[in-house]
Amino acid sequence: MKFSYKILFCCIITMAAAFGAGGYFFIDDVFRASMERETTQAMDESSILQFAFETAALNIPSKYDILQNSVIEEIGSNLEKGGQGTGRLLRLSDEDRTVLYASEGFVEDTALLCAVEEQTRAYQVTCADDRYFIQTGTMLNSRDRILYLETMRDVTEVYGERSRGFAVYRNMTLLILVFSSVFMYFISSWLTKPIRLLTQATRKMTAGDYSYRAEQVSLDEMGQLTQDFNHMAGVLEENIHKLEEEVRAREDFIAAFSHELKTPLTSIIGYADLLRSRRLDEEKHFLSANYIYTEGKRLEAMSLRLLDIIVSKRRGLELQDADVSLLFGYLKDIYEAQEDIHFVFQYEPGRIPAEIDLLKTVLLNLADNACKASEPGDTVEVSGRKTEEGYLFSVKDYGVGIPEEECQKITEAFYMVDKSRSRSRNGAGLGLALCAELLKLHRSKLMIESTPGKGSCFSFRIPCERGGG
Amino acid sequence: MIRILIVDDEKPICDLIDMNLSAAGYYCKSVQDGLAAIDLIEKEDFDLILLDIMLPGADGFDIMDYIKPLKVPVIFITAKSDVRDKVKGLKLGAEDYLVKPFDMLELAARVEVVLRRFHKTESILRVGDVAVDLEARKVTRAGKPVVLTNKEYGLLVLFIQNKNVALFKENLYEKVWKDEYLSDSRTLELHVQRLRRKMGWEKNLVAVYKVGYRLEI
Repeated sequence: MKFSYKILFCCIITMAAAFGAGGYFFIDDVFRASMERETTQAMDESSILQFAFETAALNIPSKYDILQNSVIEEIGSNLEKGGQGTGRLLRLSDEDRTVLYASEGFVEDTALLCAVEEQTRAYQVTCADDRYFIQTGTMLNSRDRILYLETMRDVTEVYGERSRGFAVYRNMTLLILVFSSVFMYFISSWLTKPIRLLTQATRKMTAGDYSYRAEQVSLDEMGQLTQDFNHMAGVLEENIHKLEEEVRAREDFIAAFSHELKTPLTSIIGYADLLRSRRLDEEKHFLSANYIYTEGKRLEAMSLRLLDIIVSKRRGLELQDADVSLLFGYLKDIYEAQEDIHFVFQYEPGRIPAEIDLLKTVLLNLADNACKASEPGDTVEVSGRKTEEGYLFSVKDYGVGIPEEECQKITEAFYMVDKSRSRSRNGAGLGLALCAELLKLHRSKLMIESTPGKGSCFSFRIPCERGGG
Repeated sequence: MIRILIVDDEKPICDLIDMNLSAAGYYCKSVQDGLAAIDLIEKEDFDLILLDIMLPGADGFDIMDYIKPLKVPVIFITAKSDVRDKVKGLKLGAEDYLVKPFDMLELAARVEVVLRRFHKTESILRVGDVAVDLEARKVTRAGKPVVLTNKEYGLLVLFIQNKNVALFKENLYEKVWKDEYLSDSRTLELHVQRLRRKMGWEKNLVAVYKVGYRLEI
């Protein structure tokens, strides 16, 4: 059952019970009060009649001291008539509780008569032919005779009022319940609206619409829940996006990788097939074998670089305090002897927290790229200087440069701005991807400035303090 | 002589295609740069162009614009196996599309088909007293027609197109039967024996130990 219906039914049941019990007690109380009043009146009437009887008995001239039965009957009849229009009913009985006189319609029952004792006035409510009466009984002493006087007072009206009261009250209660049910229905659906909205949001998200958010309609606990849910959804969505991005990047990488594999493989397979199926002359034989060797080497270089990237992605590293002059000295040893490209080194002394071998790899790659981009005779500047945020390394060349739109993609694996150019210089398109990964380990990143035709400047900054963000 | 231009940014691939097609009797020229390719196409006449798509300078699709008015047939050779690229290449008017890595036998066969379609080659192959009319699929030996089954005919054409080349059993089988070769199958052997008998090549069509067969003429 729906939660809003549960609220609704609970309210209706509570209201019905409250109204029912309350109404019953109220009407019953009114009824009791009326009955009491009627009883008092019946008692009064009884004592009036008693007095009237005794008076009448005294006034009758009597031949005998003892009141005759016929006289009693006569008085009784007179008394009945005296109550004209009020429907007075009475019954007179003698000492043996034998009925001497009874008005027409008086009950046959003598239970009360038997219960009446001296000096008491008894009453009971009797029911005859769907009519209710208060029957009173009293004992009177008149002219040496003990007589019993009983009266009956019609109280059907009081009972009728009670049942009418019940009926009216029942109808009214039903009406109130109907109206308040409708009202409560709206209230309960308003109260449960946040739940419904949350449910809807959950379903939408399950169906894959991660950007859907539940609408917040209140500021109470429900509203808090909605807010928390939305926050959770936001975090989840972000994570999912991140994962999707990662998967996409991986797929791109695999696609690029398989593409890069195809070219050397075509050569290797083709030349090997040539060697095994044809009789080639010496020169061609050598050429084929050499191609197989060089293309195989290219594959090897590619797989090693790939391994480097994967390993560097996995490992955390211990940064050690290192002297930058070590790095520049290492580069100098390698490149200063270079004849066709002129290297210029310029650096400020300093110490940086780094893993020196990894930074060597980065600088080597950058210097190598600079060479690839330059023509013979060009200059490549390698410099280092202290800044407030850290030690800044930069490698600047005056070569072909990189178009602006390519700068973004340049650190993607297998990306090459000029494919055939770098191919011819043995590039696999993985150098900058590796650099980016290694710099990430040093909490640094590669900055690229470049103008096509004028040259490029690759730089990165190693933060000074250890452990700092 | 049939002149073929090879445009691919990979020197090894250019040389590989060059060697194979030269051996099959074509004249080949290769170039590694898109712009150089356009220059060469405008300067010299070619019967067929093998074109890579990813090229420095100008890519294969750009080069197609220059080739179109010359009505020279083009076969695309590329590492891109994307269907969209394939469709684009063929829509631009390429005759065929080969995806790297490809087999040299396959390349030779495709080149042959395209050239024949453009009537650049004779549709009749001749070896000794044997003549094969590729269009009519008719084989004659010393002027007399020889009846061959489909598979025998396929083998014959492969042997003639690659005379003096050792053809591997699995290659032969894959090309003719278009199925994977199982080393214990004797189907190929039986067909080659029948072909030898029918063509009178008992001495020419030799078995190469552990490899396959070679037509020596």
